[in-house]
Amino acid sequence: MHALVQGIILGVLTAGVYALMASGQSLIFGVMRVVNMAQGAMVILGAYLSYQLFASLGIDPFLALPITTAVMFGVGVGVQLLFLRPLRDDDRSQLSVLATFAVALLIEGVMTVIWNTTDRSIDTGYANASWTVFGYEITLVRLWAFLLSLVALGLLYLILNRTRFGRAVRASVQNPESARLLGVEADRVAALGYGLGTATAAAAGAVYGMLYPFNPGSHYDLISRLLSIVLLGGLGSIGGAVVGALVISVSSAVVAAAVSPIWSQMTFFVVLLLVLVIRPRGLFGTTVRGGL
Amino acid sequence: MSKHNRLWHRSLTATVAALLAVGCASGGGSNGGGSTGPLVIGASVSLTGDFSDSGKAVQHGYQLWANMVNASGGILGRQIRLDIVDDASSPTQVVTNYQNLINKDHVDLTFGPFSTLLTIPASQVAKRYGYAFLAPAGGGPAVFQPNLHNFFFVQPAPTVQSGDVLVKYLLSLPADQRPTTAAYAELDDPFSAPLAEEIRQKLEAAGVRTVYKQVYPSETMDLSPIMGAIAALHPDLIVGGTQNEDSYNQVKSLVQLKYSPKFLFQSNGANSPLEFPDQVGAANTEGIMAPADWYPGSKATGSAAFTAAYIKAYGGTAQSVDDSSAEAYAVGQVLSEVANKTHKIDNDTIISTLHSGTWPTLLGNLSWSANGAPNGEFNLVQWQGGKLLPVYPPSIAQAKPEAPKPNWGG
Repeated sequence: MHALVQGIILGVLTAGVYALMASGQSLIFGVMRVVNMAQGAMVILGAYLSYQLFASLGIDPFLALPITTAVMFGVGVGVQLLFLRPLRDDDRSQLSVLATFAVALLIEGVMTVIWNTTDRSIDTGYANASWTVFGYEITLVRLWAFLLSLVALGLLYLILNRTRFGRAVRASVQNPESARLLGVEADRVAALGYGLGTATAAAAGAVYGMLYPFNPGSHYDLISRLLSIVLLGGLGSIGGAVVGALVISVSSAVVAAAVSPIWSQMTFFVVLLLVLVIRPRGLFGTTVRGGL
Repeated sequence: MSKHNRLWHRSLTATVAALLAVGCASGGGSNGGGSTGPLVIGASVSLTGDFSDSGKAVQHGYQLWANMVNASGGILGRQIRLDIVDDASSPTQVVTNYQNLINKDHVDLTFGPFSTLLTIPASQVAKRYGYAFLAPAGGGPAVFQPNLHNFFFVQPAPTVQSGDVLVKYLLSLPADQRPTTAAYAELDDPFSAPLAEEIRQKLEAAGVRTVYKQVYPSETMDLSPIMGAIAALHPDLIVGGTQNEDSYNQVKSLVQLKYSPKFLFQSNGANSPLEFPDQVGAANTEGIMAPADWYPGSKATGSAAFTAAYIKAYGGTAQSVDDSSAEAYAVGQVLSEVANKTHKIDNDTIISTLHSGTWPTLLGNLSWSANGAPNGEFNLVQWQGGKLLPVYPPSIAQAKPEAPKPNWGG
């Protein structure tokens, strides 16, 4: 019973990390209908940036977030301008899978050249710290990641619902033609939207780097999980990404702790398949544009 | 078939057989003993791809040995020339490489690549052409199954037996100090899980009760739930059948869960002198055990010279020497020993000579079974005061084993 409860606690806290990663993924699909295969690589790039700032300059990964977020935003805008904008609107969803996968491989190659293939960890003094509450361990970094994801998702909500840019994004998503007629620059919105989605990878990467060892190839394991989360939550729904992360993370942790780690991987795919059979658009996905 | 055709067929068969026999003899029997030119040794090494870090370390080991032998006049008066090619960590490319080395470059001898995955097909090519195949890495069970007469795995024991030294150490303890319960968290790969299983079976037979045993897939990123389940059972001993990344993950999870067992052994990862403290925090390494063939400060044959040459060539300290380089260097040492003993250096001599006797190397004294499996044992190393020290068997120990393991943070 102790192991089961500890598993649930770990699952809930880890869900915060995944929600951070998947919210960007969902935003990018919502804005541009781009299935972003590069988000895992962006998270690992975010982890490397945090690692480098910590190792070279001693800047704490959480305090470095303004820097890493700005850099990742710039990387996202650059990728959109160079690799995604040239894609034709008609084929964007299909071709974006290939284009963003190529971007992921490119980023992996660059990371390998700069940091080689050795595993890295961000070992801050508190990276392994935990609080004992009623006999259960609450890992500090996971708790902070959970809180950080709530803050980041809250900020995303405010940007999308309370700013001019956010209105432009939602207008582009709901009715691109009308938005264009009303003066919304679709290309600019798409670039900034992709940049914003990529920027979430900075915070996710910092947390990931403190929790797990990583190397340039770590993104392959991440991307399948991220895609599962956004499919489960519903493509384009940020709230859905949070719920998807919770379902997948808690079910995996509980099964790993109480049944078997082998079945743990299988469990979330079973949950995903069941949801998709019953509700093909995911838990919170919409059949029409405007799911944000 | 007519009588004429049968005769023709027989003579053709005999001719082809004779040609093949001559071909095989000339291919494998590079008669190094009588030649005065350089002794060319071909090896395919993973300089790119998944195994590139270890592949480059193997290349360093081969090169160091060749440089040192050449500086002292070569083998039987012949300078060593290494013909090293990149296999990109591919089991297909490694076959092509050895075929080219043997048939196109006509190398005199061959050394092995890195990893079981590549050693299996490479050793088959060497066998086909009658070449001796001394391999510094790749001691998984599948390597020994073909029973190749030309194959020698240059490490103290097959990889899955590298945990036997832990069992011997634990059973050497007084009964009241031995672990009574054990948990096994095993990575699902050809080395890690079988190695941990071998330990489990032997400890169970000795009365150590298994309270947890699970195999996890390699794509498991988060080991916290597994280590949480183990921590809840409070085992005296945790055996991690690990590679690198999951080894670090296991320790980090245990630190976060604040559970420190009396004994913690990991098959891999914890024996990495540079990376392990970086990954888990230097203060958390204290007391963790792992198997090792070579270790800094080893008094085995040639170890001091190897260490000095390595540091001179690649910098760092003895603690930063990659053990894959030491294993590759040992391959060269074995070859030198054969030449010293027999005054010949051809494939037939190497194969027939190495099947008997004991061969001193920087990994200790090596000997082999008929299928190329080494007959020795690994050493038990333990993190003490920020260094990885050999602690068992007593004959090579530089420190007493620290038991029980202190709490996290030293």
